[in-house]
Amino acid sequence: MEILHIEGTRSTPEIHFDPVDRVLRIAGESYPENSFAFYQPLQAWIAEFLSENSGAVVLNIGLSYLNTGSTKCLLDILDLFEEAFVTGRDITVDWHCDRDNDRAVEAAEEFAEEVTMPFNIIPINEFP
Amino acid sequence: MKTSDLYDLKDTLTRDQILICFAGPFSHSIIEELGAAVKHYLQAEQVTKSSLMSVFSIFIEQSQNIKRYTERKAAEGKETFFSGGIVVIGREGEHYIVCSGNYVEEGDIEETAARIDSLKELDPQQLKAAYKEQMRKELQPGQSAGLGLIDMARSASAPLQYTLKKTEDQRCFFSLKAII
Repeated sequence: MEILHIEGTRSTPEIHFDPVDRVLRIAGESYPENSFAFYQPLQAWIAEFLSENSGAVVLNIGLSYLNTGSTKCLLDILDLFEEAFVTGRDITVDWHCDRDNDRAVEAAEEFAEEVTMPFNIIPINEFP
Repeated sequence: MKTSDLYDLKDTLTRDQILICFAGPFSHSIIEELGAAVKHYLQAEQVTKSSLMSVFSIFIEQSQNIKRYTERKAAEGKETFFSGGIVVIGREGEHYIVCSGNYVEEGDIEETAARIDSLKELDPQQLKAAYKEQMRKELQPGQSAGLGLIDMARSASAPLQYTLKKTEDQRCFFSLKAII
């Protein structure tokens, strides 16, 4: 599979997934005009990747804001990886959030509660 | 409109401590632009990051709701009847407020109004539970996630308020207010 790269905009995050190092990076703000239309291609790409490749995957996520439509889409994406994790695959989520933003930390914790795969909440200073 | 009326309009906005107000057709780029303005303003005011995120997220949810509703009505061929809306960000004492209003069909708004009423009864833990339950609901294609109102209620420091004003031409004007 080819590298997946989607440039970020003011309302959509940058997405980068290299099938060789198997790190999925999603960073920025997420309130697309149509969340489902924006995330559907990524979901399809992930589903295909997981069916073709069996290596460990790291999800490196740094979303400073998600609207509710994006939250639902992100949950669907985490579910795809969770499904792979429960069948024995090595998957880790590194979720970066602003340590000074209680709501962002809380949102991260709520995502973590939805899955059983390793989910590291990494509070950072000066979120970009 | 007389030019002197703009003074009255500005005077009203100042008196009511309105910081940002937009009325007209909502496009995605206008929502992005206003969102950036909201953020810059609040950063200059040195509000906490979580308050800033609450105001911003309520603004985004309200604006996107209006935009989506207008698009739905346009698809039904009722665009001119329901196009446009208004969103206001202001202060009320120690609090920031985000309000929005748009014309709706009465039948479309009953469920939303009932939802807001039911959310009023919930404490933060119950709101979180309601949010998680809704997050896990299967959606039909094109259906909205239905999380917006619960998310707004969670971001707000008081229950969401709304009013419905019936107009003579069988429309309703729906106003929603969130206090942060």
